Amino acid sequence: MQININNKSYPAHEGETVLDVARKNGIYIPTLCYHAKTGQSAKCRACIVSVEGMRGFQTSCNLKVKDGMSVLTETKEVKDSQRMVVDLMLSSGHHNCLACERSGTCELQDACYHLGVEKTSFSDHPTGIKDESSEFIVIDYDKCIKCGRCVAGCNHSVVNEVLGFGFRGLETTIMCDDDIPMGDSTCVQCGECVQLCPTGALTDKKSRGKGRFAELKKVDTTCPYCGVGCQLTLHVDHEKNKVVRVTGREVWPNNGMLCVKGRYGFEFHASPKRLQYPLIKRNGKHERASWDEALDFIAERIKASVGEHGPDVFSALGSGRITNENNYAIQKFTRAVIKTNNIDHCARTCHAPTVAGLAHAFGSGAATNSIDEILETELIFVIGSNMTEAHPVVSYYVKRAAQNGAKLIVCDPRRVDIAHWSDLYVQLRVGTDVPFLNGLMNEILKNGWQDEEFMKNNTENPEEIKNWLKDFTIEQASEISGVPVETMKQVAKMLGEAKKVSILYTLGITEHICGTDNVKTLANLQMILGHLGKRGCGVNPLRGQNNVQGACDMGALPNVFHNYQSATNEKAIEKMEKDWGVSGLSRKEGYKLPTMLHKATTGGTKILFCVGDNTVQTEPNTAKTIKEIEALDFLVVVDIFPNMTTEYADVILPDVCFNEDEGTYSNLDRRVQFLRKAVDAPGEARPTWWIMQELGKRFDVDLKFTSANAAWEDMRRTGTIMGGITYDRIQHIGLQWPCPTVQHPGTPILHLNGKFTRGKGLFSQTNYRHQAELPDAEYPFILSTGRRLWHYHTATQTRNSIGLENIFPEELLEISPFDAKIMNVKTGDMVKATSRRGTITLKAWVTDRSPAGVTWCAFHFHEAHANILTNDAYDDVTETPEYKACAIQIEKVSDGIAVVERGFRQARP
Amino acid sequence: MAKVQKCSCGNDEEGLIERLEEIITSFKEKPGALIPVLQATQSLFGYIPQEAILKISEILNEPLSKVYGVITFYSFFSLKPRGKYLIRVCLGTACYVQGANEVLTALKQQLSLEIGETSPDKLFTLDVGRCFGACGLAPIIMVNDDVHQWVKPSDVKKILGTYKKQKGVNQGEVK
Repeated sequence: MQININNKSYPAHEGETVLDVARKNGIYIPTLCYHAKTGQSAKCRACIVSVEGMRGFQTSCNLKVKDGMSVLTETKEVKDSQRMVVDLMLSSGHHNCLACERSGTCELQDACYHLGVEKTSFSDHPTGIKDESSEFIVIDYDKCIKCGRCVAGCNHSVVNEVLGFGFRGLETTIMCDDDIPMGDSTCVQCGECVQLCPTGALTDKKSRGKGRFAELKKVDTTCPYCGVGCQLTLHVDHEKNKVVRVTGREVWPNNGMLCVKGRYGFEFHASPKRLQYPLIKRNGKHERASWDEALDFIAERIKASVGEHGPDVFSALGSGRITNENNYAIQKFTRAVIKTNNIDHCARTCHAPTVAGLAHAFGSGAATNSIDEILETELIFVIGSNMTEAHPVVSYYVKRAAQNGAKLIVCDPRRVDIAHWSDLYVQLRVGTDVPFLNGLMNEILKNGWQDEEFMKNNTENPEEIKNWLKDFTIEQASEISGVPVETMKQVAKMLGEAKKVSILYTLGITEHICGTDNVKTLANLQMILGHLGKRGCGVNPLRGQNNVQGACDMGALPNVFHNYQSATNEKAIEKMEKDWGVSGLSRKEGYKLPTMLHKATTGGTKILFCVGDNTVQTEPNTAKTIKEIEALDFLVVVDIFPNMTTEYADVILPDVCFNEDEGTYSNLDRRVQFLRKAVDAPGEARPTWWIMQELGKRFDVDLKFTSANAAWEDMRRTGTIMGGITYDRIQHIGLQWPCPTVQHPGTPILHLNGKFTRGKGLFSQTNYRHQAELPDAEYPFILSTGRRLWHYHTATQTRNSIGLENIFPEELLEISPFDAKIMNVKTGDMVKATSRRGTITLKAWVTDRSPAGVTWCAFHFHEAHANILTNDAYDDVTETPEYKACAIQIEKVSDGIAVVERGFRQARP
Repeated sequence: MAKVQKCSCGNDEEGLIERLEEIITSFKEKPGALIPVLQATQSLFGYIPQEAILKISEILNEPLSKVYGVITFYSFFSLKPRGKYLIRVCLGTACYVQGANEVLTALKQQLSLEIGETSPDKLFTLDVGRCFGACGLAPIIMVNDDVHQWVKPSDVKKILGTYKKQKGVNQGEVK
């Protein structure tokens, strides 16, 4: 259809608004309350226009177009009215642009500029009221125009449900919770309100006075924290070589939303504690060395050791934190130069069971569907995932789906915060996922809720699994898992009756000795229900790190080359030998991470080349890990900060971080996303691909890594599923693999229409195995571990960024009120937690998130981290440690001051 | 967190919180439960204590900001304990032109109270409202549920007198 604006005809589509058409054609209409994300609200009246045949003025932001409509936006009457609205808004508070953070991007300032409003013709009403109580966000009430965008964003976009409108009439104001200071409220400081605010009412505290929007260079890139892969814009002060502010990009996967770490945890890149120069340990002390010195020394030591004992005494670790290119570089070096497959990375400690389990069942070990499909599903089944803390942006989607009517079932031993939004919270005992799920499937089959056709056509062994599951009665499952039979029946019914079910899981599933079985059982469930290969369905592991998916994709694994080409398959080996121009690649599978370490004590591993992996703090049973690390002949650590592992290193090499080189990360829905260089690396820090190239030269091998892009292209030449992804194609938005050719649009959904990568889906028979270390009289409590919202892994990034540590300064041991009462422990008391492997002393947090008998703490703080206690028992398929369950005893050390608890939904004391 | 204050009628508020929990739970599954629950709370305590706000938010699974937003939007709800008698003076247009402001001034003087305040003996709370929908009777004041019509400043003393003598409704009753 056509509509007329200012007597000129423009094409328009059904459902569009007058504002949409005007904006598309570069016609400015002032808007203040309207935002594409929060939708039409027609509150502020600044966007009024006159329409032929309609009385009065119309708000263009919610006026749907009609064929032949004639709109005027520039008449004197319209302009006068718009001007009056803006004039009144100016007088409602105190809008002074001179020192305002928002100056230059303020939409009120824009309106004034376009309408020629210099100052209000009324008197303004400054109150001077500001709320600066929050660590990261400032509310300047004098600049609030009550447009409601922040309230809509907080409640319907990120669904943190903190901001609201209070009072009425002239007194109407935005407020947090029950009108308390933001810093005391349940606000998780994701900054969505700041991003949506059209004026200077909500601004970032830490970038105050550090540069206005227009004078900073904007660099689009990918977030360096969790696996969601949020797209963000870094606002960079080039002269100071610093990031000053971070905003979310309104593209998939995050649509502008970020979490507190992504938005406010960025200063680590400029921390003075960064590693800047190569260091060599001499007489027990790390001394500065030149790159040549360090690399010569490393090459010499490798040559000597490998020459004497063979290539398998060399092991290397890639990382889920570094880029695809750098992971590829380290795996190529290990395989092509050293000729061993001893290459692994930290997926071993988290989602290796996912890769193994899903590859076994479906033929591909990655998430089957995309993040945005969560909004289209009918039932979301969350199991073993504390997503509001570990994957906040995914949790926004889940919460929003629940708000829009999707059913949400949350299964977890702890009452994690996402349970707050669930229709049904199922508290099962730690490590009883297999019997619980088998019981559900038994019930589903008993009632005929399975997708018989899917099972028959798309799976290999449907009858076998049906017979196998007959023995797993729901009563038996209930007894083991502690979930009442009635609840189990309810869950089974909900699963059976929903037309679309999406399963989301995290490390609560994988970090058990039966991790791979747990994953296979989830795959069984979805195959029985037939919820695979369709939009809004699937089995979706939430990958933990920014690039742990990519590290797997790049072949930083002992059994596969990049793109999962088997490292023990003769054809694949020959392909690589030919392309890489080398011969004699190893024919046998390499060591997995724990094996590399175990072998150190018996002389099987002599050299460990460790990139971006704080092994000492992240492996279970720290005392044992230290013994193993100390037993190594030679340890090289490439990292950005000194950490517990660098202490033991013979050579430390300084790495670049996420904004100091270009490259790519693959996120949890297989999306390869671009990273751009925004600042210069400190000192002599170099990217890993450069280090590998230089080391290769010392072995007379040219690895051909002249840039990150060269490394990527080197990978792509022999790549399969990523063969079609080039830097050019992902400049604006990422591509999801499989993407085999440069014409291929990428694959949002795997196994489409039930056509599995491996052909037909394969059911597995899984049995219950209890955790390796059960609580007993001496060690009566189960300790489970995980991540906090405010910190990330060994906290080198989050503790070196300003503010996060102020919010959450030390680790807390979560204890149930039941147990706390018996031990006479209250929140704030110091307690000693002891397992058979070590002791830590930390503060207690009495919370009903933990059920009786279960305690919890994280591994972020090296002063008191969970891995001193955790058990080095491993999943027998993938050697993933059982971080989620070990036995401890607790002893009260001293009384502390109880912190006031106000029913915080998020994990803070 | 502010602890519940002793209420004006001397009832034990701990007991009332338990009673409130029952009420909230009984409304839990009903759509649009928030306002009825807040009305019940207001009747139960004579105001809406902080602890009740947290309980309502928790059991009804509504954001605190929404509960608080509704409470502060409607003048019927009060965050402070109110006296036994709530006097509300209509300041709607009709009442205003008929002299409501003078009536208000008289009330302020006689009670020695400002708007929103409660007398030390917890007998009266003075408040204002916007249009009670009875403009034909302007100016009007309401004392609890009683409507007083065509009020003149000189009537104020007599009206107050009747309540000083009378035994009014007991708080803790849920209507």
